[in-house]
Amino acid sequence: MDSFLDGNAAGSRLRELFALDVTAAEIVCDGCGATAEIGAVRDYGGAMGTVLRCAHCDTVILRLTHSPAGLWLDMRGTRRLFVATVAE
Amino acid sequence: MPGIEPLRRLQWMTATVRDVIDETPRVRSLVLDVPEWPGHRAGQHVDVRLTAEDGYQAQRSYSIASASADGTLALTVERIGEGEVSPYLSGEARVGDKFELRGPIGGYFVWTPDLGGPLFLVAGGSGVVPLMAMLRQRAAAKSPAPATLLYSSRSYSDIIYRAELEKLVGQGGGLKVVHTLTRERPAGWDGLARRVDRAMLESVGYPPAEHPRIFVCGPTPLVEAAARNLRDIGHEPHLIKTERFGPTGT
Repeated sequence: MDSFLDGNAAGSRLRELFALDVTAAEIVCDGCGATAEIGAVRDYGGAMGTVLRCAHCDTVILRLTHSPAGLWLDMRGTRRLFVATVAE
Repeated sequence: MPGIEPLRRLQWMTATVRDVIDETPRVRSLVLDVPEWPGHRAGQHVDVRLTAEDGYQAQRSYSIASASADGTLALTVERIGEGEVSPYLSGEARVGDKFELRGPIGGYFVWTPDLGGPLFLVAGGSGVVPLMAMLRQRAAAKSPAPATLLYSSRSYSDIIYRAELEKLVGQGGGLKVVHTLTRERPAGWDGLARRVDRAMLESVGYPPAEHPRIFVCGPTPLVEAAARNLRDIGHEPHLIKTERFGPTGT
């Protein structure tokens, strides 16, 4: 599937798992080292779950799959995730 | 950046349609009563879930159109061909109808008055919805941040919120609204009449030296071209936030 949205669109699916809003968190791609807010990466969401890809090198940085049994999270393509806990 | 405390789990809430406003021939706003609604930040969205009598469920995300308020919010929905949810919201929903929604969602494409400005908003079609929430929030908070909306529509009758935007501009307070019409122009139209391009972004927006906070929302081609042009003009990438709209449901 070629069409994608901004990572911001994955907000509610990520909220199923994360206790903080991570769309404003910084994620470092393990493929190319680029840093971006999750809201700015590419969301190839679908009925099967969420696939986030780096906007620079297309590496899959996060997969979140909903199955009847539960949630599967695969973040092999993420080097680091930073969530700010103090106001800007 | 806000959003520090752990968030409560997203719960489905019951929304009751309080008012229906025809914005254009293809776009309607629904004002909703949601007693549990905790308020939101401008630019956030909700998930709407419809359940058929046989239990089949369809879900879509919609930007919130209103300024933050407890217990109520407004959505503005464009009728999109074969969608499962938008034909109901944009065509069939009546005052008193109930459906489920959850939110508010998202912390990336948001503006709050404490972030200040100048605020440069670039909209294509119904991409204006989350940007209108920002302008309504700005007005409600009497924010002194200068703001400019560059708004691309296909024709004059497709301009969503036209009268309210005129009214907001008329109130003064540093708001400028510039329309461009890409397909049809009314007789005597002396405004812009082409797609959003670099020259337009440069002449309508603020110079990079003023560090405007920029929000772009619309169809993917507009968003990508505008983001690229804004970077080329010299705006700092971290101040340019984009939101493509498209099908997001499950």
